[in-house]
Amino acid sequence: MRTYFIRRGWLLAVIALCTIAAPAFALAPLVNATIEPSQIVMGESAELTITSSGTGMEAVSLPEVFGLEFRVVGQSRRISIINGATLATTSIVVRITPQAAGIYTIPGITPKSQPLVLRVNPNNGTPTNSAGKPLPGANTSGIRMTPDGSAFIRLVLPKREIYVGESIPVEIEVGLRDGFARLNGLPTMTGGDFTLNNLSAQPERNAKVIDGKPFTVITWHSVIAPVKPGKFSLAMESPFTVKIRTRPQRESMLDDLLGDPFLQNFFGATVQKDITVTSPASDLTVSPLPTEDRPPDFSGAVGSFKIASEISTPAAAAGDPLTLRMHVTGSGNFDRVDSAMLEHLDQWKTYPPKSSFKASDAIGNKGEKIFEQPLIASKVGPQTLPGLAFSYFDPTTRRYETARTAPLSVTIAPSAADSSLAAQQAPSNSPAPLGTPANPNNGLRPDHLAAGVSASSLLPLYLQPRFLVVPSLLALVFAGGWLGLRRQSDPSDRRRMRKRGAFTLIDRDVKEMEAAARAGDAALFFNLARAALLRTLAARWQLAPDELTPDEVHARLGGKSDRSGANDEGGRSGGSSVSDGRGASGSDHSGASDGANDGSDGGGGNGASGGSGSNRGGASDGSDESADIRQIFALADEANYAGHDPTTTDLARWLQIVRRRLMDEKP
Amino acid sequence: MISRARISILVVSLVLMTFLGPMAFQTRAANADETGYSAAALYNLANSYARAGKPALAVLNYERASLLAPNDPDIEANLRYVRAASHQPSESKSWFDRTITAGSPTLISWLGVLGVLIMGTSLLARWRYPRHRGLRRTAAAVGVALVSLTVCNGVVLWPTLHAAVVLTAATPVRVSPVPMGDPLFVLPEAETVRIRAEHEDFLLIQTNAGRTGWVSRANLAPVVPKTNPLSPVPAAPAG
Repeated sequence: MRTYFIRRGWLLAVIALCTIAAPAFALAPLVNATIEPSQIVMGESAELTITSSGTGMEAVSLPEVFGLEFRVVGQSRRISIINGATLATTSIVVRITPQAAGIYTIPGITPKSQPLVLRVNPNNGTPTNSAGKPLPGANTSGIRMTPDGSAFIRLVLPKREIYVGESIPVEIEVGLRDGFARLNGLPTMTGGDFTLNNLSAQPERNAKVIDGKPFTVITWHSVIAPVKPGKFSLAMESPFTVKIRTRPQRESMLDDLLGDPFLQNFFGATVQKDITVTSPASDLTVSPLPTEDRPPDFSGAVGSFKIASEISTPAAAAGDPLTLRMHVTGSGNFDRVDSAMLEHLDQWKTYPPKSSFKASDAIGNKGEKIFEQPLIASKVGPQTLPGLAFSYFDPTTRRYETARTAPLSVTIAPSAADSSLAAQQAPSNSPAPLGTPANPNNGLRPDHLAAGVSASSLLPLYLQPRFLVVPSLLALVFAGGWLGLRRQSDPSDRRRMRKRGAFTLIDRDVKEMEAAARAGDAALFFNLARAALLRTLAARWQLAPDELTPDEVHARLGGKSDRSGANDEGGRSGGSSVSDGRGASGSDHSGASDGANDGSDGGGGNGASGGSGSNRGGASDGSDESADIRQIFALADEANYAGHDPTTTDLARWLQIVRRRLMDEKP
Repeated sequence: MISRARISILVVSLVLMTFLGPMAFQTRAANADETGYSAAALYNLANSYARAGKPALAVLNYERASLLAPNDPDIEANLRYVRAASHQPSESKSWFDRTITAGSPTLISWLGVLGVLIMGTSLLARWRYPRHRGLRRTAAAVGVALVSLTVCNGVVLWPTLHAAVVLTAATPVRVSPVPMGDPLFVLPEAETVRIRAEHEDFLLIQTNAGRTGWVSRANLAPVVPKTNPLSPVPAAPAG
């Protein structure tokens, strides 16, 4: 019985101990460490995330790895409830910055943790495997991915040492992870030390697996050419739109599901962002073209070329055009292949050549350039077109080369039209040099015997400053004479000119008065009439219009009409009767015509016509004019100050009178 | 009023001045006969160069001779012949050019002065003879025509006045006015080019085909030299 109790006591003790110790074991934190990404290039950083599951995290000591710098950049805590149980998770984010490229092993955070491996690639971005060799899908030219690994761009160069002007074919590859990146434009070259041919709008597209992920690789084939010597770093850049995850992949419970881009988009796990990616720089050494042994006809062509020539027909008549074709084939900068070689054709009349280029590759680095040179023979008989020479620099042999063609034979027959002339000219056009002793002239016309007139300069006299003095003096004399004669000329001519200028305004005044009459604006009408008459009288009396006052006008007109004072009186009386209103114009002119025609024609509302009738009746112009002008001035005052408002019919009649007075003053 | 006598004196004076001017220039040229240019002398000199196998100098002197005696058939024929022998194209003058350059530039110059004289006289006659309007207008038209003839002569001769002849064979034409400038193309000997600009020892030229580039001044001879190449070289000081 005692033994039973002893055994039972031990059992209870063990149970109690387990019961007491169990929470202690349960609270022990589970520490996990991950590094992402596990592969970076120099200049980039990786993140080491240490996650502890439990109520608390033990003090974690950061590992020490030679060549790696660790720095804590953040800490987070998360509490999850799973099946009613609360689970706390604490994370510490540590940034790892490598000091040198290589493969680093980071020891486990806890003694039981697995060590972590971080691969740091050199600057060229070549991803390497554990042995330091390029990964499948990558190559030594280098691939620099976007930070999220969804796109890259790289430049593939066939050589790193080239010459100025040399065209080298290049490949520009852009990799787009399917569904994660999109190209937003054509790649461009950084810097202006090279020229890049236009990129095709339809490049090659290939599917490729890089680092285990599917990519679409777009490849452009083009040509670059350096413009100056030196050492350069060449890179390409291209705009992309990439989809970036909004949360770490490890934190997503749907990680496996969201591996598909469509599902990630569906669940909103990514966002789009426009970025520009630059390829790893490629170092190029550009050497200048050597100056020694440079042919004088070298035009800058660099490459490997061959030339050939042909003539359109081996026989032709004089005057018939021939075509000399020169074919330049090979590879290189065809834009510097010119037709200078065709400029030394002897005994031929040439015209500007035409050129055409047929590329044999997609980038125009290889092909054939054809020059067509029209020719006309200047001599009759068997002719030889000299061989053509074309100099270029061959970067392979690193020296200047000269390609030559064989001479071409052509037979030129005399044309039917000028066969006789050709026969006469044939001897003089013989190859004998000019001035042989046997024939000193040899086609030249003889010397002139007379010495002729001598000139001090070949420049024509009219371009010599001392000669230009003569016509300049003449011009001055004539200008002075014209001014002097003008000053002493008959003043009446000048008066006529001035008068003509003054009366150019009459037509404008009449039009304005017509408008005022049509509108029934009596004040404007009579003011315009008064102004026009004043201007006319001023021109007649050689006065400025503003110098002419109404008193002056009355005085001059009155003096003029003294010999018909009775008429003036009649006019004045008529003028005074204007104030009675409607019959103003009629009574005025009855008065005016009284002076002329004993008043028999006056009266009624026909004053205006009566007035004009009196003028036509041969009365004194001075008296009629005086009366009309005075009445117009008076009516203008009445219209302005007394509100006199004649009818439109009256205004039309007055317009006729004013127009007649103005027209009488025209020369 | 200016009297008719005064106007007559003025016009006569101007006419005398106009026609005595050429005599004064000719007298001066005669005095400088040894150093002046003569179309015949230049022509004979060009013939000598042609016979000596120097086509560039021959073309140069033919061009200079043709400036003094345009439309001279001998100069024209020999220039064409030497150019053909040098494989240089020759351009024929248009009828307009032939008409405008029918007289020597000296004669054309004085005809221009005469035109100014006639125009001025017709202008002055307006005040003295106002009724002879038709006659005055005819005279003014003649004056304008003479002045226009002079201006057109200058326009036609302008390219020649700014031309130069390539003196050496395979003269390199460079892209820039420096001795190390890349050569663009080469010019054959005796080709005539136009001078467009100058920069130190280089001239910017334009060929008949329209190509341009810089050529060393030593390889070209301008048709109208800045200094008289026939002037006697001053003797070096003794001792």
